[in-house]
Amino acid sequence: MKTVFTFFTLWLAISSFAQTKVVGLVKDANGEAVAGANVLVKDSYDGTSTEADGKFSFVTTEQGQKFLVATFVGYKSFERSIELTGKEIVIEIVLREEENVLDGVTISAGAFTAGEEKRRTILKPLDIATTAGATADIAGALNTLPGTTKVGESGRLFVRGGDGNETRTFVDGMVVLDAYGAAAPNTPSRGRFLPFMFKGTSFSTGGYSAEYGQALSSALVLNSRDKADINQTDIGILSVGADVGHTQVWKRSSAAGKIQYTDLRPYMGLINQRIDWVTAPTSAEGSAAFRQQMGKDGLLKFFGNFNRSNLSLFNHDIVDASIKQKFELTNNYHYGNASYQQSLNKTWSARGGLSYTFNQNAIELDGVPVGETEKGIHAKTVFEHSLSDQLELRMGAEYYDRRYEAQRINASNQSEKISFNESLIASFVEAELLSSKHFVVKAGVRAEQNNLINQLSVDPRFSMAYKPGKKGQFAFAYGLFRQTAKNQYVRINQNLDPEKAEHFILNYQIITDRRTFRLETYYKKYFSLVKYMNLDATQLNNAGSGYAKGVELFWRDAQTIKNVDYWVSYSYLDTERDYLNFPTSAVPSFASTHNFSFVYKHFISKLKTQAGFTYSYTSGRPYYNPNNEKFNADRTSSYQDLSLNLAYLPKPNLILYFSCTNLLGHDNIFGYQYATSPDASGVYASRAVRQPADRFVFVGVFITISKNKNIGQLPNL
Amino acid sequence: MKTITFIFAVLFSTSSFATDNKYIEQMGKHIQAVYAAQSPEQYQEAVNAFDRIAAAEKKKWEPFYYSAYGSLMIANREPDAAKKDAYLDKALASIESGKVINPNESELVALEGFVHMIRVTVDPASRGQQYSGMAFQTYSKALGMNPENPRALGFLAQMQMGLAKFMGSPTTDACNTGKKALEKFTTYKSDNLLAPQWGKGMTESLLQGCK
Repeated sequence: MKTVFTFFTLWLAISSFAQTKVVGLVKDANGEAVAGANVLVKDSYDGTSTEADGKFSFVTTEQGQKFLVATFVGYKSFERSIELTGKEIVIEIVLREEENVLDGVTISAGAFTAGEEKRRTILKPLDIATTAGATADIAGALNTLPGTTKVGESGRLFVRGGDGNETRTFVDGMVVLDAYGAAAPNTPSRGRFLPFMFKGTSFSTGGYSAEYGQALSSALVLNSRDKADINQTDIGILSVGADVGHTQVWKRSSAAGKIQYTDLRPYMGLINQRIDWVTAPTSAEGSAAFRQQMGKDGLLKFFGNFNRSNLSLFNHDIVDASIKQKFELTNNYHYGNASYQQSLNKTWSARGGLSYTFNQNAIELDGVPVGETEKGIHAKTVFEHSLSDQLELRMGAEYYDRRYEAQRINASNQSEKISFNESLIASFVEAELLSSKHFVVKAGVRAEQNNLINQLSVDPRFSMAYKPGKKGQFAFAYGLFRQTAKNQYVRINQNLDPEKAEHFILNYQIITDRRTFRLETYYKKYFSLVKYMNLDATQLNNAGSGYAKGVELFWRDAQTIKNVDYWVSYSYLDTERDYLNFPTSAVPSFASTHNFSFVYKHFISKLKTQAGFTYSYTSGRPYYNPNNEKFNADRTSSYQDLSLNLAYLPKPNLILYFSCTNLLGHDNIFGYQYATSPDASGVYASRAVRQPADRFVFVGVFITISKNKNIGQLPNL
Repeated sequence: MKTITFIFAVLFSTSSFATDNKYIEQMGKHIQAVYAAQSPEQYQEAVNAFDRIAAAEKKKWEPFYYSAYGSLMIANREPDAAKKDAYLDKALASIESGKVINPNESELVALEGFVHMIRVTVDPASRGQQYSGMAFQTYSKALGMNPENPRALGFLAQMQMGLAKFMGSPTTDACNTGKKALEKFTTYKSDNLLAPQWGKGMTESLLQGCK
């Protein structure tokens, strides 16, 4: 008892003698007062909050060399050594804002990001799943954004006058070869990856980072989900098949698997198709994902899937429909991807991965095999380093190896094999300077050594953004891009140069919590495109060239009308190219001048239903008419589609889903095919390429079984 | 009153240290302040005080808890979604720090679920499914640690009520949980004098919608 009293007296004595008053002011970088900031002496209770005018004053009993700390939400903490002697200390503190705050400037030219839900992004991951007409296909949803051209008979992403092949898909930074499932000629293919697997999607329509190579027009970067949190089993019963999935969670890891069987035969039997199916498509698909947290913040991800699909049909001759050829396709696909990320210390972090793709199209034409097989690996390591709060450095190295083999019938009517093997070593360096909350510059170079043609290339990339005020920002991007010509050309001439494109993009955008406005204009120059010499498909060179330019508008509003979210996009495209068999510079058949989409989503609480519709309009596309002297001068009628989807949730873990495309039954014509020789009167007979059926109707029931019956599959749909 | 008795007990006990006296006294003072706070400024002031104590003490979970509570109350009053998220991030960071000290504290875990629940309100259409799932799971984790925790039950009732209203389904589950929570609010006593006391009013007003 006595000791305590002595101690107390002593303590009181000291404190009364050795109090130091600390007074001052806390401001931000713009000189404005920060109210409510926490000012304290480190490792003590002593401190206070700043007043509305940023001023503070407190008394501390601490003594000697101490640290004065100031903190506030959204700002970096401030720390300075002070000497507490009893003499009043006057200090002015400037708090610097954290760069990743939401109001900050971001690289935006060319990019559509559907990211973490906490950030202000143009799209939310869920949007991809709930866009009507997209039927939960990633490309289908992205096709409602500006910069894309709807090419209904392909289902792929055609970006800014580019062909579907010019968009490259990456999963967790690793390349995916053959990212679309197999489909019969002139029928749309679906992406191989389900949207629910990804927490973030970045769709770039040009000017992307030096990290991404071998993509001429566009990069689709998908980031898979991290460790799962909830054990659950998902069951889907669909009008075209069934699927079952399970997720198991452990403390530091999670595993998920899903198998799906799709059989379009009953559906195709029920609804009249314009295709003479022998066997309508069937496919079996499985995917597995494993996540393991390592150490403090390391994460190892593994993802793999396989798919086997079959279809066969008869192609009929344009002139005499009784002449037919049997087309049979079996597609075998495997994809595996392992990636790892970890921070090494406070300023360095590393990530890397390995991916493997195997794709085999076993095709038989009237029983004669003409298939192709592609195998590829991609390995990549990236290091990121923060030189300072403002300057980030990113550098990486990559290795690609691709083997392609095709079987074809040669001139002497014999089956022969042709193949090539391409390997690439690439490296890139990129620096990002965030000079303030208002200005950011990113500059990089990408070097590639292509061993097939023994060529070293260096491509510059540059982007910047300027945000003068709180809302709107201007951005610019430039880059040089290259991509090896399509397999079907390289297998003929292995000395072909890569095709090249140069992008110039200007962008203005305003993003608030629930509204987005975006205006973008660009110029894209194509060169070294593959060209037939003397119109001979076996004599190829790189003499082709072209351009694309356009203006694009995007408006999204989830604010004006309660429970309603809609977006409008419009793209104007002016493009021509002189490549392949083109006799002159002309608009390619996949390009259309005007593209318009209107996407509407409405949650109706009373009906427990999420309803959505999408209207798409694409102006007529050119087609080659041998009866017209002018090349590609004819235009199809416009493409129009009104799609609807309804998700009814009687219970949170049960969803009834209905979707239908082309409600109005518009007769969409994608182009015309012509007979190879003219008839007696000198006219080439034609046949329109149409949708396989006017509408596609889909019905599904989705059930989720978990410990908690409030968890459903809506985010997965 | 109890707190004060305890403070005196501590003050005159030979087995304690002056720092612990100071801790209890300061915490008691600021806990009263945070419960009495009305404006974001008052909450911020309390949050700052708890942050200072948390930083100085290093081994106590309570200041992290109350700091998170204060940040949550600010988030609740913040109209701008981005700023709301920033305060929720701060609350979550405090809870995580508290969990490092005491991983099995039911109150911290319950409050974590509360953070997820507030996240839903920022953008129910796109966040509802993800964060409500996380909230439910976190509440059941908190109840697993302490089935008597009235706040964990009260929050769970809130979540069930919100979901029922959103889905247009019956509120029976929510009301039953709410009644159970109210019962625990009167019967449950923690032996920690700094333990959270709030949440009863919230549950009472929830139950008013049950008749």
